[in-house]
Amino acid sequence: MQRPRPSQHRPVSSVLPGLGATSQLLLCLTLVVFAQSQSENPRVTALIREGQSAIDAGDFSHAVQDFEDARQLAPENADINRGLVLSYLQAGRLADAQKIADFAVGRWPRDARLQHWLGLVYFKEGQPQNALQVLQRSESLNPDGSDIHFDIALVYLSVNQYPLAADELERAIKTNPNAALPHVLLGRAYQNTNRTIKAIEQFRAALRLDASIPLGHYHLGFALASLGRNQEAIAEYQKEILRAPDNPSVLYQLGHCELATGEWKSAVTYLRNATQLDPKNADADYDLGKALLLDGDAKGAVIALRQAAALKPESPDPHYQLARALEKTGDKEQSQDEFQIFADLKKAQPATGGMATGPIQ
Amino acid sequence: MVPIPQRMPARAQSHHSAAQQATPKGRNAAPSPISFVDIAKPAGINFHLTCGDPEKRYIMESMCGGVAVLDYDNDGWMDIFLVDGSTLADVQGGKCHTGKLYHNNHDGTFTDVTAKSGLSHCGWGFGVAVGDYDNDGWEDLYVTYLDGAVLYHNNHDGTFTDVTAKAGVGNLGRWGTSAAFGDYDNDGYLDLYVANYVDLDLQHLPEFGQGPFCQYRQIPVSCGPRGLKGGRDRLYHNNGDGTFTDVTEKLNIDPNSYYGLGVLWLDYDLDGCPDLYVANDSTPSMLYHGDCKGGFTEVGVNAGVAYSADGREQAGMGVDSSDYDNDGWPDIAKTNFSDDSNNLFHNDHNGEFTDMAGPADFGPVSIPFLGFGVKFLDIDNDGWKDLFVANGHVNPQVDQYAFGVTYAERPLLFRNFGKGKFEEVGLKAGSALARRYVARGAAAADFFNDGRENLLVSVLDEPPLLLRNQSRKQGHWLRIKTVGKRSNRDGFGARVEVKAGGLTQIEEVRANAGFESASDPRLHFGLGSANLVDSIVVHWPSGAIDRVGQQRTDQQLVIEEGKGVVTPQLMAPRTGSLPPN
Repeated sequence: MQRPRPSQHRPVSSVLPGLGATSQLLLCLTLVVFAQSQSENPRVTALIREGQSAIDAGDFSHAVQDFEDARQLAPENADINRGLVLSYLQAGRLADAQKIADFAVGRWPRDARLQHWLGLVYFKEGQPQNALQVLQRSESLNPDGSDIHFDIALVYLSVNQYPLAADELERAIKTNPNAALPHVLLGRAYQNTNRTIKAIEQFRAALRLDASIPLGHYHLGFALASLGRNQEAIAEYQKEILRAPDNPSVLYQLGHCELATGEWKSAVTYLRNATQLDPKNADADYDLGKALLLDGDAKGAVIALRQAAALKPESPDPHYQLARALEKTGDKEQSQDEFQIFADLKKAQPATGGMATGPIQ
Repeated sequence: MVPIPQRMPARAQSHHSAAQQATPKGRNAAPSPISFVDIAKPAGINFHLTCGDPEKRYIMESMCGGVAVLDYDNDGWMDIFLVDGSTLADVQGGKCHTGKLYHNNHDGTFTDVTAKSGLSHCGWGFGVAVGDYDNDGWEDLYVTYLDGAVLYHNNHDGTFTDVTAKAGVGNLGRWGTSAAFGDYDNDGYLDLYVANYVDLDLQHLPEFGQGPFCQYRQIPVSCGPRGLKGGRDRLYHNNGDGTFTDVTEKLNIDPNSYYGLGVLWLDYDLDGCPDLYVANDSTPSMLYHGDCKGGFTEVGVNAGVAYSADGREQAGMGVDSSDYDNDGWPDIAKTNFSDDSNNLFHNDHNGEFTDMAGPADFGPVSIPFLGFGVKFLDIDNDGWKDLFVANGHVNPQVDQYAFGVTYAERPLLFRNFGKGKFEEVGLKAGSALARRYVARGAAAADFFNDGRENLLVSVLDEPPLLLRNQSRKQGHWLRIKTVGKRSNRDGFGARVEVKAGGLTQIEEVRANAGFESASDPRLHFGLGSANLVDSIVVHWPSGAIDRVGQQRTDQQLVIEEGKGVVTPQLMAPRTGSLPPN
């Protein structure tokens, strides 16, 4: 079963609050700049203010309309173009956002914020290389902008460039040491490059800054578990569960740790919850099968392991467990069949690199 | 406070103090009853293990470290043999490296007797096996090298003769690691299994850091074993006339030439026929079930010991067996690479095993550690087998990164609390166990015949550790030496059952286990508060059974096949007999 190994963390978007939310947070902060902008045309000034208010209220369609109207009146106004890029970006109209941003960046090439937002547009469009290029230009124009470092790091994380992401996050933290989220992401970048001790330091730093930061305890628990410190990990997962009782990822990891420490009944409870909340999580079904088997419920284990095998047909691991569970139920024939499937799937797997069981990077 | 004997060596005393200071505040209010002190230097063990250059650019530079405990002169005291490695430069320059033999002086010290012993083969050594292959009552030695192996016959006068060619066990051109004597066909003569690791050509060594199999966590390291050709293990059948026959192909041993490292003979299903477990690196481990007719069936996958609990290959290093939960069936401990848990395969009594390393609190703590030697022993004589694990990474380069993994690592000592649970107490067991080493082989022995099990541990590029057990609150004990008659003379493979104080313990006689090493072949039973042994039953490999009635505790019994106890030897505890400074 390909459950995440200690050093193979999931992509940032799978377990963190969505990138959109993160970007939204940063973008909203920048609106303060607009609030101070002025125009000689009172109508234009009013439209800009209405657009800002609409963005603040999350009414991006309205914001688009306001800024489009303003742009008809003053197409060369930088604030209006910025507002329009933001509005389209937040409204998810990426093509429109890019069109305006391309124009604006050409018109005001030394505007770091426009470069920044164009980079975000590219990022949201799934063009990380273009995003990086533009974001780095923005960074060169505003080297002290912690949000730019942060967003560059997000792009790096999205393409699994963990060392580079770590560099950017370290810069972001240097310029703004009191934000908790960069510490979490830096911890994850460290964890994904096997610098687990440093990762733990970062997760703890994030939790000191914001004890309720989403998934802070989760990531700390994961890092601790990767060092075999299961009891500490369980304590962290349980704190996270208090904050987010229905998060299947947390339930899964908690169940996984309980399984590892021999608390099979408790593991079954958490893992069953995880499978119910996320029926496509093959890892949870697999661990549930293992826990049931160890707890003496071989028949229950067979059901869960068949589900795991169905969800991950290419993985040999569920078949190995299934063979053992079937043996326990007395079904020797099917057990041997499963051992054979396990062996066949094993052969089909590519040779893993590096020493022994060390993770492939 | 742990009492400090009056004649504590200065080095050990200072370490002891350091350990006390290092104890985390509030973690351990009461002093630990477990204590080990390194007495190697004051005991006269002046050996330095050479194993390649410090950078460890090639795989063979990380795998040395065989240690053996044997009573080569039959004086009733365990002596020491330490295998030495070499370096590329020394191999090319013809500089000789030999192992060293230390005679036990019975006073806590040892004397280097290598020069007159005849143990003079020069080479890059790795593992060592001990066994009386010719049943003459004197222990012989088998040493594996990078390009072969040597069998030394014990001449009964403190000297040995190289009989490799005559015996036909040269393992020629192969890089042997662990080896183990065991009588797989119960014909009364010890056969020999040799684990071979990698087929290595010193003239064409794989380039450090070059290629996908020369990386660890994205950093360049020595290459292998993946990507290198494995060496096929060898099984030599003892013909009973001083010669052996290679039956590897005939018995289909290791057909895939996996990377062999750990070897263990055991009778896991109690059918009276020796089985064989081989820990392989990065490939499935193998469990050969003996069919009582001189043949084997490989059953590792079905038995649940070939892979991790998740069906993944592991980097098996060392392996040992004992009945850790006293349920009458032998279990298996195996060490693995870092990022992976060590295994504690519980015997399910039906031919299958379940890895209980996690629930037993043996596995999770081991994850950052790279384990090699592993040994069951009863450190406090409470009747429950504890576990020692020698750790040390293979890549010194890891120290340049904050991986949470270091090159030198502290050993792990697990105290068995019964009920299937262990607690890792290494940090509470004296400064010698709190320090970090690049440790490899490990052997347990009652070197001082005082009823306490001590440890001998090899360390790459350093002197070994001779860890004297100075734990308080020792229970009573019983030591049994087996002498086979129809069975092999050592009694290897005999299953001994001891009942005392309401507890029944079983142990199987063997010397060779762990990683490249051999331990005290005398069985050691901790008896807790029981001051009488109720009964002893010996199941000999020949099928014979000897039953012995009540016995006093705190003594050594010699039990001869067909005769029972032949020479009870009272052993007065010698708690203060440490070597002089």
